[in-house]
Amino acid sequence: MSICSYNLTIHYIPNIVYAVFHYKIEKNQNIKDNEIKHFDIPSDQSRNVVMPNPDFLYSTIFYDLSEKDLNINANMPDSTYWSVSFYKPNTINWFVKNDQEFDTNKLDLTLTLNDSKYENVIKSPVKKGFMIIRILVEKKDEKSIESYRTLQKNITIN
Amino acid sequence: MKNKIIIPILVLLSIIIGGYTAIKKINSSTQNNEFSIKNGNWKINPNMDLKDSYQRAYISRIGVFALDEKEALYFLSSKDNDGNPLRSDFDYQIIGTPPKGRYWSYTLYGEDYFLVKNDANIYTINKENLTKDKPIMVSSTKKDINWLPSGNETKFHITLRVYNPDESVYKNLESLELPTIKKIEK
Repeated sequence: MSICSYNLTIHYIPNIVYAVFHYKIEKNQNIKDNEIKHFDIPSDQSRNVVMPNPDFLYSTIFYDLSEKDLNINANMPDSTYWSVSFYKPNTINWFVKNDQEFDTNKLDLTLTLNDSKYENVIKSPVKKGFMIIRILVEKKDEKSIESYRTLQKNITIN
Repeated sequence: MKNKIIIPILVLLSIIIGGYTAIKKINSSTQNNEFSIKNGNWKINPNMDLKDSYQRAYISRIGVFALDEKEALYFLSSKDNDGNPLRSDFDYQIIGTPPKGRYWSYTLYGEDYFLVKNDANIYTINKENLTKDKPIMVSSTKKDINWLPSGNETKFHITLRVYNPDESVYKNLESLELPTIKKIEK
């Protein structure tokens, strides 16, 4: 019985970490599933996730595809690293694509549970999961930060 | 009657012991970076093909929502060249060139793996704020160039991130030449 409990705990630790993170974000940021949250550049006040990268603007969504597909649209930066990544509730990163792998800086993705022949339609292996859009902000002058913040805030989900 | 009480208690105890041992194991692995690849005093994130449940549990504890090694590499050090823990009552120089990649940065984290409070709000050194050909100075007191503040942390960690590393980097993690962290007199 102890061995069984040991193995189950090891197996589900990532899910527990994810569930706690989900709860904290939902509670502290007043954000629901399929709503996008734009985080500013992390500082010493940032306590949601360990080892945040202070060179990134993060936008996140806890997605739920049980009722509808999700469309993600944005005009992303054309001169810095950015990426879109998706995670399962056991924290496995099942998809990542960066700016150099997209043909354009106009982000137009559909996240769905169904198969599709279109490149901009991504089939999620899970109904519920997590998305992170990362935008690299290497230069920390106010002008650069503000221009990236503006682009970040224009990322839309519907 | 006695068995009706003892058996559920034993079952519950077994579950608690199993769960507790598992959490202790992962916490101790996290502290000792057991699953990491080692290169000098740097520990590198293991392959992110996370089919192994131990490795997955470990990654979720130290860097949840990390990316795979082609997208990003995370080199972590908690020790100087001599193998002593990094402490804010000493100064350090980071000497050497980061591995080749599209973007790199050094970030200092406290013992709790969160960013360290400092008046200058400097948390990272990257190629944009680096003064070339000068070492990076890790110190609790202000430095004019390439300063990575260590605040008042008893112990701290330095993470070197490399995004979109060259193939020669992520395929040679154990033999790669990495920067060194040298303790210097204040």
